Amino acid sequence: MMKRHPNTLLLAAWIACAAAASTGTLPGAPVPLGLPPADYPADNPQTPEKIALGQKLFEDKRFSSTGEVSCATCHAVEKAFTDSPLSVSEGIHKLTGTRNAPTVVNSAYFEKLFWDGRSPSLEDQALHPFVNPVEMGLDDHQPILDIVRADPDYARQFRTVFAKSGAAVTMQEVTQAIAAFERTQIAGDSPFDRWYFGGDAGALTEAQKRGFDLFVNQGRCVSCHVVEQTQAIFTDNRFHNVGVGINNIQEDVPGLAAEFLKAEATLSEVDVKVLTDKRTSELGRFAISRGLDDLGSFKTPTLRNVALTAPYMHDGSLKTLREVMEHYNHGGVTREGDPVNDFLSGGIRPLNLTEAQIDDLVAFMEALTSSQYAHSTPPAGSK
Amino acid sequence: MSKKTTGAVFGGLLLAVLLGGVANLADEPAPKDLERWQGEFMSVVKAGRELWVSPELGSNGVACAQCHPNAANTHPETYPKFQQQLGRVVALRDMINWCLRNPLEGQPLALDDPKMVAIEAYVSYERRGVPMAPGKH
Amino acid sequence: MCRCHVSTRRGFLKGAGACAVVSTLPMSMVELAFADSRRNFTFAYISDSHIQQIKGTQFVRNWDRGLIRAVAETNLLDPKPDFVVFGGDLAQLGKKEEIDHGAAMLAKLDYKYHCVMGEHDYYLDLGEYWSKLFGPHYYSWDHKGVHFVTLNSILTYEDWTHKRWPTAMQRMVEMAGLDNPNGSPFMVGEAQCDWLRKDLENVPKDTPIVLFSHSPIQKIYKGWNFWTEDAEQVQALLQPFDNVTVVYGHVHQIQYNQIGNISFHAVMATAWPWPYPQSYAQAESHLPKLTVPMNRADPFFERDATGWQLIDLDTGRVAMRYNLYNNTNRAVAFNPKTGQPEDTVFQAPQSRIDAQIHY
Repeated sequence: MMKRHPNTLLLAAWIACAAAASTGTLPGAPVPLGLPPADYPADNPQTPEKIALGQKLFEDKRFSSTGEVSCATCHAVEKAFTDSPLSVSEGIHKLTGTRNAPTVVNSAYFEKLFWDGRSPSLEDQALHPFVNPVEMGLDDHQPILDIVRADPDYARQFRTVFAKSGAAVTMQEVTQAIAAFERTQIAGDSPFDRWYFGGDAGALTEAQKRGFDLFVNQGRCVSCHVVEQTQAIFTDNRFHNVGVGINNIQEDVPGLAAEFLKAEATLSEVDVKVLTDKRTSELGRFAISRGLDDLGSFKTPTLRNVALTAPYMHDGSLKTLREVMEHYNHGGVTREGDPVNDFLSGGIRPLNLTEAQIDDLVAFMEALTSSQYAHSTPPAGSK
Repeated sequence: MSKKTTGAVFGGLLLAVLLGGVANLADEPAPKDLERWQGEFMSVVKAGRELWVSPELGSNGVACAQCHPNAANTHPETYPKFQQQLGRVVALRDMINWCLRNPLEGQPLALDDPKMVAIEAYVSYERRGVPMAPGKH
Repeated sequence: MCRCHVSTRRGFLKGAGACAVVSTLPMSMVELAFADSRRNFTFAYISDSHIQQIKGTQFVRNWDRGLIRAVAETNLLDPKPDFVVFGGDLAQLGKKEEIDHGAAMLAKLDYKYHCVMGEHDYYLDLGEYWSKLFGPHYYSWDHKGVHFVTLNSILTYEDWTHKRWPTAMQRMVEMAGLDNPNGSPFMVGEAQCDWLRKDLENVPKDTPIVLFSHSPIQKIYKGWNFWTEDAEQVQALLQPFDNVTVVYGHVHQIQYNQIGNISFHAVMATAWPWPYPQSYAQAESHLPKLTVPMNRADPFFERDATGWQLIDLDTGRVAMRYNLYNNTNRAVAFNPKTGQPEDTVFQAPQSRIDAQIHY
């Protein structure tokens, strides 16, 4: 309930401008249809000024060794915060890593960040790309701090938001602002939401409705891409080996795994190694946890807006949703008849879906595009 | 009471006795009916047990009893409840269908299929006496 | 995932250095550690794979994947185990195709392995084909100062075995049903008891003994054949020894117990978990009181409550580390202060977690 207060008008005007600039959901706005309320950490409350600061940091190319790469380079707002159609992202000097840039949209619902879950929070995640040799390529975070402390606009914003200036502005404040901005990027209200939670019987086509039935029953998708009674975030926040990537290194797994079990690698070293060595990258969460049941496991991404975020999987190796469905239909191998890797997650098995059923599932997934992205054209060739 | 009324009352009682004995009021089942109906029920429980141990329910030869001897660990008393694997609150027979589709790699039964009723009868019978706890995970 | 820090505080689970590796292992690994550390060694334990043929070369994929995974993970163990034991029920109906399919998976182990007979392997052809691949049904051997014995403890009454059923397959199917009222209780039998008595005659009383058996060598629940009819006789033969451990399969769940000088430890199946007998509301059962039930975190996860074990033998007593896929690992170790096996984290009733009580 808004109080009658002079600042209300300013706030309203600001919200209107901010809403135009980003498609984010601002504090105090109702939760989008089909989503649960997001968790906001107690030590990083959302404020409009912090969000605006976070967006500025997110888009600032000066935080890279070449001055050409910002977070937005790989997480571009006009591409639903990805760099579709790239399979793996390109950092400084167009250097490539090994992993596909996940969307920031709805990342507020993840309990761990990165494909292998090595970051416990959005704040922590933001630290890593700056200093990764194939992403922003900085040696350490000092250049960022030099800029935000000295630049008059930044200095004023940090003072307003955090009541800090000079040396008191640290990477904690920087990443808190970035995380606050990222948490506004939540999006529900897709045709599926309107049909399933909103009671609009006509919001889905018949093919999409059949696709949903397959999603929950024969396709078994809901086991990991969670849909619940009153909301759906389409991820179980767990890690699974679905046979992508690891299938290509099956012979190497014993040697690679042994290396990790012996080494006392720090998290930063792992961060560098997984993006620069493709074979290590395929170990997935095992490289972080050293749990043998994490071998080749990657985080279940959300399927919201999936039609816009091609290509798919942690390595971007599956170009279209149809290819994804065929991989699952074959029981965790991309080419039918290929050997299944020994560490495949328990629930993955051949699904015996017909071509028509695959069509219906793909149609269903296309119904998960949120209304604010409805105008976006899916990348060419994504079907 | 007048003679006429006494006679009417007496006649009514006689009629009642002639019609069926002291215990057999119109809406009360006779003991032999109860026994027979219990037998009818047990015949369906028995049919459910046969399905429970049958390798033919699914397509891969796995029987329910392999993982659920005497229907243990099926928890029929906790249904309906939210099941993550189906994304919504479901009844026992929906979970039976999940098992038919997945570990047994078979086709689901129609929700009103007599086989489904038989399986539910067997599962519930093996769990008799346990208090209801719907929704319990 | 690894609860080593707690067990170190409790002090009775030695070998914490191996824990980082241990916690990543999904099989039963048994480590025998002595005061003289030169004699320390480990072995792995895989059990109850129940390879089940559908038709021709088609097998139930779920059970196949369980054994494949256990073998692959054992091969990643570091330090390497001295050997592997397979605890029985390789096949589901004892068919040649099933035994062959399972044997092909076991052959991928990088280590020597010893096999224990299970009833699902035995009752089709009375273990004839199994013997061709895996050797005698009962035997013993010594390794680094420990006397190991394997028994075939799933035999039953002669009449039931030879006269009751018209065909061998019928006999196998009847025994395959855990809750089948037409079943018959397991036993070791006179012949093996005699053999065991002679085998143990010249073993010094302070030599640690580890006995592998498929049935529990205890009487837990007859309705599901968690039972050995002549358990007391076998226990009596073992009681004179200072340190005895019985490791058994068949039950597909965590169980452990102490009877006199004998510790008992059950191993997990790679195929599927079984309910605890007390979850059958219509019958009484006697689960060993010590047992903290296994974790059932998510019954719909296909590998839930399956796995394998790492066994530590500290001064001749077993400490078993269970690796439960996508689940909190468990370690059950012999506590010399209390003289019995205990879960290193969850033994006290107030320490239980949901996954152990909610099913």
